[in-house]
Amino acid sequence: MKLRSRRLLDRSLTGVSVMAIVLMSLSLLVLLGPIFSRGAAAFLFRATSEFRRFNLEQFNRGDSRRIAAESRAVAEARQPLYGMLAAFTAELEDMDPARRRELRQQFKEVRDLLRELLGPLPGEMDAVMLRQQYGQTRWDRARVTLQRILFSEQWDYSDPSRMGRKVLVPRRQAFAGTQLEPLFPHLQQNLKSMLQPRFTFYWRFLSDRSLDSHFFGGIWPEILGTFYLTLGAMLLAIPFGVIAAIYLSEFAAAGRLVSLLRVCISTLAGVPSIVFGLFGLAFFINTLHLSHSKSVLAGSATLALLILPTIIRAAEEALKSVPHAYKEAALSLGASPLRMVLTVLLPAALPGILTGVIISMGRAAGETAPIIFTAAVSVGRPLKLWETLNQPTPALPWNIYNLATEHQAVDQIRHVQFGMVLTLVLLVLLLNLAAIVIRARISRKMRG
Amino acid sequence: MKTNERNLVMSDAASRLRRLAAFFSKGFLFLVAAASLVAVLLIIVYIARDAIPFFKLRGLKELFAGTAWFPSGNPPEFGALAIFIGSGLVTLGAILVAVPLGIAAAIALSDILPYRLRQAVKPVIEILAALPSVAYGFFALVIFAPLLQNHGGSLLSLAAWLIFLPLGLLIAFAVSEIATRSIRADVAPAARWLLAATLAAVLVRGLAALSAILKNVAVSSGTNAFNVSIILGIMALPTIVSVAEDSLQAAGRELREGSYALGATRAESLFRVIIPAAGSGIIAAVILGVMRAIGETMVVWMASGNAAQVPQPWFNFLSPVRTLTATIAGDMGEADQVLGSERYHVLFALALCLLLISFFANLASEWILRRQARRLGGLK
Amino acid sequence: MKLISTILALSLLGGAFGFAADANKIVVDGSTTVGPIAKAFAEYTMRQNPGVNITVSESGSGNGAKSLVNKSCQVASMSRLLKLNEYEAAVHSEILPVVHVVALDGIAMIVHPGNPVAKLSMAQVKDIYLGKIRNWSQLGGPNTAIVIISRDTNSGTYETFEGKVMKGEKIAKNCEYVGSNGAIRQRVQSTPAALGYVGIGFLDNTVKALPIDGVNPTPETVKDGSYPIARPLYMITNDYPKMGSHLYRYVNLYLSKKGQTMIEEIGFIPVTSY
Repeated sequence: MKLRSRRLLDRSLTGVSVMAIVLMSLSLLVLLGPIFSRGAAAFLFRATSEFRRFNLEQFNRGDSRRIAAESRAVAEARQPLYGMLAAFTAELEDMDPARRRELRQQFKEVRDLLRELLGPLPGEMDAVMLRQQYGQTRWDRARVTLQRILFSEQWDYSDPSRMGRKVLVPRRQAFAGTQLEPLFPHLQQNLKSMLQPRFTFYWRFLSDRSLDSHFFGGIWPEILGTFYLTLGAMLLAIPFGVIAAIYLSEFAAAGRLVSLLRVCISTLAGVPSIVFGLFGLAFFINTLHLSHSKSVLAGSATLALLILPTIIRAAEEALKSVPHAYKEAALSLGASPLRMVLTVLLPAALPGILTGVIISMGRAAGETAPIIFTAAVSVGRPLKLWETLNQPTPALPWNIYNLATEHQAVDQIRHVQFGMVLTLVLLVLLLNLAAIVIRARISRKMRG
Repeated sequence: MKTNERNLVMSDAASRLRRLAAFFSKGFLFLVAAASLVAVLLIIVYIARDAIPFFKLRGLKELFAGTAWFPSGNPPEFGALAIFIGSGLVTLGAILVAVPLGIAAAIALSDILPYRLRQAVKPVIEILAALPSVAYGFFALVIFAPLLQNHGGSLLSLAAWLIFLPLGLLIAFAVSEIATRSIRADVAPAARWLLAATLAAVLVRGLAALSAILKNVAVSSGTNAFNVSIILGIMALPTIVSVAEDSLQAAGRELREGSYALGATRAESLFRVIIPAAGSGIIAAVILGVMRAIGETMVVWMASGNAAQVPQPWFNFLSPVRTLTATIAGDMGEADQVLGSERYHVLFALALCLLLISFFANLASEWILRRQARRLGGLK
Repeated sequence: MKLISTILALSLLGGAFGFAADANKIVVDGSTTVGPIAKAFAEYTMRQNPGVNITVSESGSGNGAKSLVNKSCQVASMSRLLKLNEYEAAVHSEILPVVHVVALDGIAMIVHPGNPVAKLSMAQVKDIYLGKIRNWSQLGGPNTAIVIISRDTNSGTYETFEGKVMKGEKIAKNCEYVGSNGAIRQRVQSTPAALGYVGIGFLDNTVKALPIDGVNPTPETVKDGSYPIARPLYMITNDYPKMGSHLYRYVNLYLSKKGQTMIEEIGFIPVTSY
């Protein structure tokens, strides 16, 4: 009997721990699922004719003759619609004042939404902001706008004990009997020919600059900024990290000073990233005056401090795992310790060091808090290499935060936010994949 | 041959030169290695330098005991107790999520899963650790918060089922085993199953009642301590799993084999032998997980709601809270550095607290891990 | 030690490049409310003058003032004026703050569109934020606790609200603070019981803006001064920008027809129509 219960307990432990593993993997899936699926929509989507017109006019991209032909076809398809608008405008003038007042506001809403959907309506003044010059460039967004044109959102407040319920009222009803009434079914049926959606793989999302604060275009300045910040952090941190690791693993005698050093390294690893940000502001910018204001250099230096412990630990680990026989062979051949390190130890430990470096690269690329006060801005053009010394830059992690919380049209540019998150996550995942591959190679080599 | 002959004994001068070079190169290496020491000192000095004026101006009592946080009021008030409690609450929540899950996963990785599966799970942990915090924050804000807000009750009841059903069934079976131990052998199995079934039925009824209550919980705002706790828990998971697994591994083969040889099952040898031996390492893992949760900025800034209030009652995870890190990130705006205002210095005072917490937590975990290494080393 | 010396050397180098490129580099820092205008102006100016790099940070009015005093930005985009200690600091570091009023803005009280409450008075808004009115039923709505949401304390919008509505009294502790206008709108549109405030440039159909004392927050009512919670938006420079410089063109864009159209299109009110 006792044995049974003991076995049961043993089984249940197995069950619980396997369950934990399953839950952990599941949470990763839940996290990455929406990021991948919705992020992919930034690259692969059904682009409308407005998208192609935009690309031609703003980036000078695409076959201009084909686009001109398409524009003609689109204009032709829209002609009846614009005709209805004009007819109704005339009709509105002749209505009795009460009905006119009632309809004018609604008509204005319809016109505004149509402009959002199709671009400037005929006879309107030239707009300055790009978002007013083009209609919806994405078919999924166009469908959302279409719904808003067909149905107006109203709220039913009849039950005072609870919040109102949303009721969708067809706008057609309000315009019943007028010349605008046929517009709604017409629009619904012919929207495809008015916008000509086509599947497009917009890989240039990665290489285009953003236009009209991320309403259009891609995320190149952010990618480049992240690249500079990471590169700078690595350039500053690798020499220090590797040299410190060499000292700790080869030359340091066990003593107070060295254990103090180790404590400092692990303390540095434990400092919250926001404190690094404050320190970077107070030290690199306000005390050392690395740059006049935020700059890539100051951000890189802050990030370098953040990843220094990771690099030291990884490098030390790699140096320690080099077989003793290597070192002793080199020393017995008469090499000085320094020479032994440079010619035998470092090459042998290089793949291991590289793994640590790559992983900390991922960390540096994704950190946000340290660059808030030291390097990141929400709008800026892609920098040239020398400009990184004194100019701030947009960067992926900061702009994800910025677009997701501070942007004027948060909901309309969700695809850009998800695209940015996907890009950052993919970048980090690729770096980690590289590290895993290198590590697998090392362990294969070690096993012989 | 003669031309290639070298004197294997170095001349005095050469040897002295070489020793000198070695001395200097070693010194240089030490100086570079000391960069992290310098960095830590500089960080402490620079944060403290701007934090001390605050304590001089306003003393300690208000910051640590007051709950009125009105840094821009006239006159301003800097009672940060609610903020400390907020940080504590989300950290507690993260620990509640991450510690059971993390230790169970560490046990699976070190003792239960076969080698191949273990290799397959490792990347999952690495990816969880590598994902940028802003990606977690974005998920918390854009996907999890609306979900929590619109289907909060159902989500909570689902969580209750997921957690309590397996646990409860386990307990039900254990209880029925123990209770039927002294009954005659021929009726025991029947009695055991009967008891287990009854207990399970009671459990399911109880859970149904609980989930009915939870379903009606209205989550007034999706950005709250609960949301952040779950996400922070997932973020702290990799740290806890890997450190705990390391220390379970470090307990060594000899202990396990000895325990098995005495007839213990795997569960018994784990709980009676391995975990006591690796216990301090697991505590260190928990401390490191706490540090990860308490120092995280982006997730709490984006998804904790940032209300500087003490939740009513204090364990109300569904109320929005404000944390130390988010206060620093969000409030830095008013920092007038030229003249130095109280508002600027109070943020450095908070940063100093954060720094001290992480400093001592780190020292503690370091000390524990080192002591464990020494002890296990002696054991071998 | 080496770290510091390397960095010093690098920074000297940086300084050298920095001064060479200064005329083509404009740094704008400050309010998230003025952010859309600053960003739109920046893109427009950069398109007109391809060699120029304008960076815009939206980190709050306080940050803008601080950067201006530190000389780390040329333009502080602010939704409030400088405060006395900021003026003192500016004088102390030999800066002459010159204020350009670029646009007008109203602060609209917003609720979830499902909320049946249709109007509020100034006194009611104040009482809600003081924590005296805690339930929508006290205002004729359903029996739900009010979730009050405010901008973070480092924003000019917060200070305007504090000044114009709260009149110096303290906001209740259970108030949630969010970092930006966009975030408030998002919180309100997803929270049926919420009450928040945003600049009218941030209004859209996902939230319901309530009339205050019977006046709707629209560009027209802000323009004619009947809407009570309105304020000018500023760009502040150190000294008058040099005529014809890029900075001059950037800051004065609001006086041109294009600039005013942009301000209207973004949802604010151009000053000249005041």
